[in-house]
Amino acid sequence: MTTTTLAPTPAPRRHWLRLPHWRFAGRHPNGALALGLGLLGLIVLLTIVVPMLSPHSATDIAGTPLSPPSLAHPFGTDTVGRDVFVRTWLGGRNDLLMVILVVLASSTIGTLVGVVAAMGSPLTDSVLMRLTDAIISFPGMIIVMAIALVFSDMGEVGPFPRGALPAVIAIVVINWASYTRLVRGEALSMRSRDFVTAATLLGYSKSRIVTRHLLPNLATTVVAYMVVDAIVAVVTIAGMPFIGAGIQPPAPEWGSLMLAGTTVLYTAWWVTVMPGLVVTVYGIALSLIADSLLAQVDGGAR
Amino acid sequence: MSLATMSVGAEGSSAPTGGDPAGAPRARGGRHAGLVRALAKRLGQTALVLFGVVVITFGLLHAIPGDPARLILGKLATPDKVATLRHEMGLDQPLTTQFATLVKGLLHGDLGTSLVSRTQSVNELVAPAFANSLGVVAVALVISLAVGLTVGIVTGIRRNDGLDRGLQALMVILLSTPPFMFGMVLLLVALKTKIAPAGGWNGTPLQSLEYIWLPATALSVALAPVIARSLRQSIRETFAQDFVEAAIARGLPRRRVVLRHVLPNSLLPIIGLIGYSLGGLIGGAAVVEVVFNIPGIGSRMMAAVGSRDFPVVQGIALVSAVTVIAFNALADAAYWIVDPRTRTAAS
Repeated sequence: MTTTTLAPTPAPRRHWLRLPHWRFAGRHPNGALALGLGLLGLIVLLTIVVPMLSPHSATDIAGTPLSPPSLAHPFGTDTVGRDVFVRTWLGGRNDLLMVILVVLASSTIGTLVGVVAAMGSPLTDSVLMRLTDAIISFPGMIIVMAIALVFSDMGEVGPFPRGALPAVIAIVVINWASYTRLVRGEALSMRSRDFVTAATLLGYSKSRIVTRHLLPNLATTVVAYMVVDAIVAVVTIAGMPFIGAGIQPPAPEWGSLMLAGTTVLYTAWWVTVMPGLVVTVYGIALSLIADSLLAQVDGGAR
Repeated sequence: MSLATMSVGAEGSSAPTGGDPAGAPRARGGRHAGLVRALAKRLGQTALVLFGVVVITFGLLHAIPGDPARLILGKLATPDKVATLRHEMGLDQPLTTQFATLVKGLLHGDLGTSLVSRTQSVNELVAPAFANSLGVVAVALVISLAVGLTVGIVTGIRRNDGLDRGLQALMVILLSTPPFMFGMVLLLVALKTKIAPAGGWNGTPLQSLEYIWLPATALSVALAPVIARSLRQSIRETFAQDFVEAAIARGLPRRRVVLRHVLPNSLLPIIGLIGYSLGGLIGGAAVVEVVFNIPGIGSRMMAAVGSRDFPVVQGIALVSAVTVIAFNALADAAYWIVDPRTRTAAS
């Protein structure tokens, strides 16, 4: 017995399958996370700093119309000579503000409903989940656009330009349901785990179990999904101007900047491509963060 | 046990025999009781979702601050004209009557009449636009499957080598690119190289294939990487299962293990994924079409909103909802046919 355990383990034979050791998960998880966080941090920093420090405002005629990228105008100028660099980063403020609002509101509502469904009576659960299923099977984008369009007359509210708040409301109305489905599933599986049983046997109240035991354990999953959601949200928000919804001009926004460039795509690609690249980099940053977080949630199964 | 039940699907050679779990529910309520129950449940859910879409779109029309008739006619219209239009739109009737009229029309497949061109029905306006959009979506589906399955299989079978990691990185980049952004880059390429017409349309989707493939490629970045990533994940999970290990232990050649045991079991989640993604694809198509100047639901929606043609907006939302629900039901049915295990799990 002892001899077998002490014997040096033979090197695993390199079968063509190299059966499940999932070396991928452990390889560079922190490198990917750091890169993602770094890129996201850079984008956030630029949206704050560039509009403050730039010599041009977003509405200034800063140079010759449609001049290509240069040192003075890193992203070139648009059809009326406005600086695309400033407009992109100022637009980013609007996009990021909307994304934050969408993700926070959807996750809060969705988590609450999910926990109520998981902890409530079977009837409550059944009613809430039917509603959730119904909303999830809506053709999201089309409904979102219809809602946003109908409310597009709502004016400027606080820091939000015209059209921003209707867009946010429209997305949240559809979006919370995904969180509910996720949270309910997780909460149900947790409810049967020992630590919750122990808490119940100790006579703790339902609200204490939810706030002190369930929610902290749900946090990682919900946060990981929030990151994924932030990618989807920006694609939806930036897609809206293409069918006339979302933030209304002259306020800049990534999608409307790109749309404005389509008419001059052939002669001045930078008006469209530069803001588009920023959106793509934003997406890559969040994908890297989300993948690292999900790898943690799955316990390295990825 | 798990080996026996799992490999039934993998081998695909014979129907489940007496001892399998599918035999249990047959004892009560006949052979198809499970199917009937699942179908009834699905139909009930479908009706609920459709009703929800109708209520939401109807509610929206009436929740808008101000009078739709006034919004359509503008601020300068005389009260008389507004009253006439209100009457024509049926807005002077009680809400319940209006709702009943709408539902009655819908049950007859009638989406109403356009407010802008009073002579045209919403059906007439929406049907061709929707057909065009579906054409784009269909081609995008084909491209996504071709690319997604290939990349998924290659990255799933290869283990963390250069090709796997390179393709993985490419998928993350594609997944992070909004379809309309990718569409514009493709449009730029088309303009410079003339590989495809830079936007436009020619009659029906079938006549317009040369116009479709570029926007469809753009749209496929929303789905192809998702298919590739989930298939890769799924293949790796399948490899870890006992029946695959057993197949390897029996000394089956690699090709046979992959094609007969791993792939059929790994492809299952993709069916649901496609059904689930369709709603997003239709929405994405609406946006991409605008970039490529295709007369689909995107431009129709934009025009309808510009002219406050609410029945058309409502019609597009309803038709999209029906399509998405139908596809989800098809995906469920496909599971039922392909995977015997779901027949017991579904109830």
